[in-house]
Amino acid sequence: MANQTPQSTKVADFDRPLLLTPGQDWGNYLINILGQALLFLITSLSVVAVLLIFFFIIRKALPFFLKHGVMEFFTSTAWYPEGSPAEFGAGTLMAGSLYVTVGALLFAVPGGILAAVFLSDILPFKARQIVKPIIEILAAIPSVAYGFFAIIVVAPWLQKHLGLVTGTNIFNASLILAVMAVPTIISVAEDALTAAGRELREASLALGATRAETIIKVMLPAAHSGIIAAIILGMMRAIGETMVVWMAAGNASQIPTPWWNIFASVRTMTATIAGDMAESPEGSDHRLALFAVGLTLLAFTFLLNLASEHFLGRSRGGGKGRKK
Amino acid sequence: MTIGFRQKLDALFTSISGLSVILMTAALVLVLGPILLKGASAVVFRGTVEFRQMQLELFGRGNVLDIQAETTEVEAARNEVYSIIDHFKKGIDADVQIKQARDIYREYGRQLRLRQIPSDKFTAWRQKVRKLRDALETAYTTSDEKEALEQLDFVLSQQNIPEVDDTAAGQYFQMARDYRKIVTEVGLDHKEEYADKFKQVEEIIKDIFGPRPGESTILMASEQFGMTRWDRTLFHLNRLLWVEEWVEKKPGEPLVKVQRPRVEQFAGTEMVKVFDLMEDNLQAMQHPKLTIYWQYFFDGDKTTGHFFGGVGPEILGTLLLTILSMLFAFPLGVISAAYLIECAGDNLVIRIIRTCINTLAGVPSIVFGLFGLAFWVPMISTISGNPAGSSIMAGSLTLAMLILPIIIRASEEAIRSVPHTYKEASLSLGASKLRTFVTVQFPAALPGILTGVILSMSRAAGETAPILFTAAVAVGGVPDSLFHGGTLALPYSAYNLAVGDVTGARVPHNQFGMVMTLVLLVLLLNIVAIVIRSRVSKKLLGH
Amino acid sequence: MNIDPEINPEETDMTQTQIPQLAKNNSSVRLAQMQMFSADSYATLVAAEPAIITSHNFSLFYGDKAGVKDVTMDIYPRSVTAIIGPSGCGKSTFLRSINRMNDLIPHTRAEGGLMVNGINVYDKQINLVNLRQQVGMVFQKPNPFPKSIYDNIAYGPRLQSVKRRSDLDNMVEQCLRSAALWDEVKDDLKKSALALSGGQQQRLCIARALATKPKVLLMDEPCSALDPVATGRIEELMTQLKDTYTIVIVTHNMQQAARVSERTAFFCLGELIEYDLTRTIFTNPSIKQTEDYVTGRFG
Repeated sequence: MANQTPQSTKVADFDRPLLLTPGQDWGNYLINILGQALLFLITSLSVVAVLLIFFFIIRKALPFFLKHGVMEFFTSTAWYPEGSPAEFGAGTLMAGSLYVTVGALLFAVPGGILAAVFLSDILPFKARQIVKPIIEILAAIPSVAYGFFAIIVVAPWLQKHLGLVTGTNIFNASLILAVMAVPTIISVAEDALTAAGRELREASLALGATRAETIIKVMLPAAHSGIIAAIILGMMRAIGETMVVWMAAGNASQIPTPWWNIFASVRTMTATIAGDMAESPEGSDHRLALFAVGLTLLAFTFLLNLASEHFLGRSRGGGKGRKK
Repeated sequence: MTIGFRQKLDALFTSISGLSVILMTAALVLVLGPILLKGASAVVFRGTVEFRQMQLELFGRGNVLDIQAETTEVEAARNEVYSIIDHFKKGIDADVQIKQARDIYREYGRQLRLRQIPSDKFTAWRQKVRKLRDALETAYTTSDEKEALEQLDFVLSQQNIPEVDDTAAGQYFQMARDYRKIVTEVGLDHKEEYADKFKQVEEIIKDIFGPRPGESTILMASEQFGMTRWDRTLFHLNRLLWVEEWVEKKPGEPLVKVQRPRVEQFAGTEMVKVFDLMEDNLQAMQHPKLTIYWQYFFDGDKTTGHFFGGVGPEILGTLLLTILSMLFAFPLGVISAAYLIECAGDNLVIRIIRTCINTLAGVPSIVFGLFGLAFWVPMISTISGNPAGSSIMAGSLTLAMLILPIIIRASEEAIRSVPHTYKEASLSLGASKLRTFVTVQFPAALPGILTGVILSMSRAAGETAPILFTAAVAVGGVPDSLFHGGTLALPYSAYNLAVGDVTGARVPHNQFGMVMTLVLLVLLLNIVAIVIRSRVSKKLLGH
Repeated sequence: MNIDPEINPEETDMTQTQIPQLAKNNSSVRLAQMQMFSADSYATLVAAEPAIITSHNFSLFYGDKAGVKDVTMDIYPRSVTAIIGPSGCGKSTFLRSINRMNDLIPHTRAEGGLMVNGINVYDKQINLVNLRQQVGMVFQKPNPFPKSIYDNIAYGPRLQSVKRRSDLDNMVEQCLRSAALWDEVKDDLKKSALALSGGQQQRLCIARALATKPKVLLMDEPCSALDPVATGRIEELMTQLKDTYTIVIVTHNMQQAARVSERTAFFCLGELIEYDLTRTIFTNPSIKQTEDYVTGRFG
């Protein structure tokens, strides 16, 4: 004991206190709580933003619905906001949105899913690195540039080669919207297919299935939640798009006759808001009606968004489940 | 099913899905190709002498002496055309001639008064000259060739009368001689018809050459100069040389568009020469030269119709909107992402926040525009005290809301992809959580965050709908204040040029140039982002 | 309770031969150990100095699952203590509890006592910054920051507000020398740490840990990602460092434990099975399970 050097007893003596003084403890606690609260407040600005959007759109749309009723707005197809008496039937507008959206999906869903399959299951890794930027750039081109292309290039072409009265119609708008929605569909669907796991693929291949059979019978069913989510997200992109439909769909407030006439011009909800705003005086019923159209659009996309979240969640949950 | 059949199906499936990728690539090329190629012609083109004059007068660019010399040269070539036109015009445009005759008569009266001729003589002389004038007028107005010749001969017979000596009235004889020539050569049968057709020719030539030297009345800014570009010159030459007509080829069938040479309309007249001159000698009259107009990206538009000048204000406006919105959204987005990853657990509140972020990402852009109109525009007007209206601030705040979820998602992903070990190492060295985030995780995530930020910048730059009601104007410039007055912006101007068919069609190079500039801006940002990301992933893979 | 743990000095392979006084707070722990290990074996275990880390019925739960169950052991200063066991046995969890690195995993909960220098690290008032600065850690995979070599080492001192350039320079050199890395990197301290080889990176991580002047160095399978040559260098380094630092090393490599440590603990399924002098564990373990493991019949 006598030989024990001072240092050796000090070994265990930590030179910095391991415990906080009550002051430090409280200080840290407060800083922590306050800091977290501040960060939380900043983060919840997104919530505030969503609430504000809903609040302000509803605030303007509500007087309209109270005055003109909900039934006329949703069921009537007469949209004469400047007529006397003014008529606010958004039926044609909703039909217009529906036409171009469904049209776009008809092009985009098969193309998008096939491309996703090709990217995730067929293309070698290196080639994927080249194709992916192409998809990204396709997604990045501003919508007004697509609209420009539709009206300056596609419309005259359609008019000339198909002998149409007008080149700005459902077909034109759907085609361009499809090109815009495809990248969204591809990226979400590809994620879902990749997440479905290699094991599944190998199991099927090991049983002697061809690649096509594996994809169609095993991979696509396994990834179906993610693929549904992809379609919904692509649909949201198409339904919410303004510039392309404003420029390329013809802006004729009508329901095509016969109903399958895809070369008829239509007018969508988004295009109506964009186009009519300048003509509607502040505070007029017309202006409020545009907010009502906006609210309808918002409600649509909100529901679609919830649906996509549900399917995305299922797709992720499914992925985890399988990994166990 | 036999194996062979199954294999064929497999190959078929592979090629169909490969086709979809090829189609996609084709779509990209098809969309970008014309936009970029035709857009490039806004910058690189064959500029005419009018272009150089425009640059000199509007932007003070170029060598004054050179341009003057060139103008003189060109004018010499053009004068040939002008003289024929003027001559022909005299023949068919009675109003001009009558006006001239009356002016001369008035001048004659003044000259007499100056000579202080006695009043009885004055009246008599004037009556005599008045007779000449009336004869001329009759000749100009009549469509009866014989009568016209009679009247003109009468005028010419009076050449030696003393009343006319050394006065303005002497010009009557020249006029009569000129017109006599026209009457005998052209004839008066088609005079009215010619008048309309000639007017078209005159207008097209004015489109090409711009106002004639000394012409004082310029009605529209767009008519200050002729065609500044050779391609547009040729377009108008085509208009000059050919007339479009809708004809019924067979009864009952739809009309067919045919092109006829315009020269046919003027067959047998001196105007024929104009068409030949224009066709053969246009180069000398316009002096096309290869021009690289790089100032296109900086020049403003002095005519409010994008006839002359470039897209400078549009670029500036777009950059202002984009950068300002980024200033709002970037800190909020990164902090939100950091909180969501580092502090927040998985509870109901956080799930609600996440749902809201997703909702925000799914709100259609036009609804953001509506919201901006209903919220930010009045808000900004309250803050700044200016009357409610578009402002850069309102537009950027609206755009900031649009890109906030994108930045949050990108930052979250970037922070999450920082190896967990960095955080462990830092904490094990006794760094606090905040310190660890600021000094280790954030720097490591920064390239990824930057990628997201640049991508969302490109999104903000390209969005039209949110700024439609909040910040963009179709004509004007970039306001001095962020809080008052709308700005020009690339996407909205691109829209306006594309759909404003009358003006837009007159400047197709600008239609494409505007979109090309926007697309280039967005592509540039995207390529930067892709490069940063590939570097990061290489680094991470190497690690 | 007044147990006098007389130890036979010659049975320890420690350099110190003094018989220690029992630290007061250790007595109950000792008692528990007495019940667990044979008196003989226990006697050889206790070192000349009071334990620096003592664990008393320590358990750590991930949610409902226990990662570590009822561990009771003492770790003595200025020596190397190895923790071995099959994978998933909780050895890393135990190690990471010592400087509270398990906090990073959500829903963890500790029970029992884990004392460092007499203070329970799961105390609510623990100063985590000071704890982690003084209980350094080296991880399984080398994890240098994506910064320069210099900045990596200076990271810790800078946290302690060492600002002066010359101080930092000294410290960096000293730490790199202690980690036997100075000669290799002295010319390019500005180079990215990621450019070093795996073994160098790990030594850099050790140097980085030393720069905060720790008392205890926790090593979580430090050589598992390294080749044999690099492993050799790290082991060499450990034997040099143990004169100054208390080293606790988790390893799945039994030869390594045998080579570098004085004491070895064998964990299995979250429980401490046996803790003794390394020599005893490897030559004459008192529990069958341990014997099976060290002879390779299991795990």
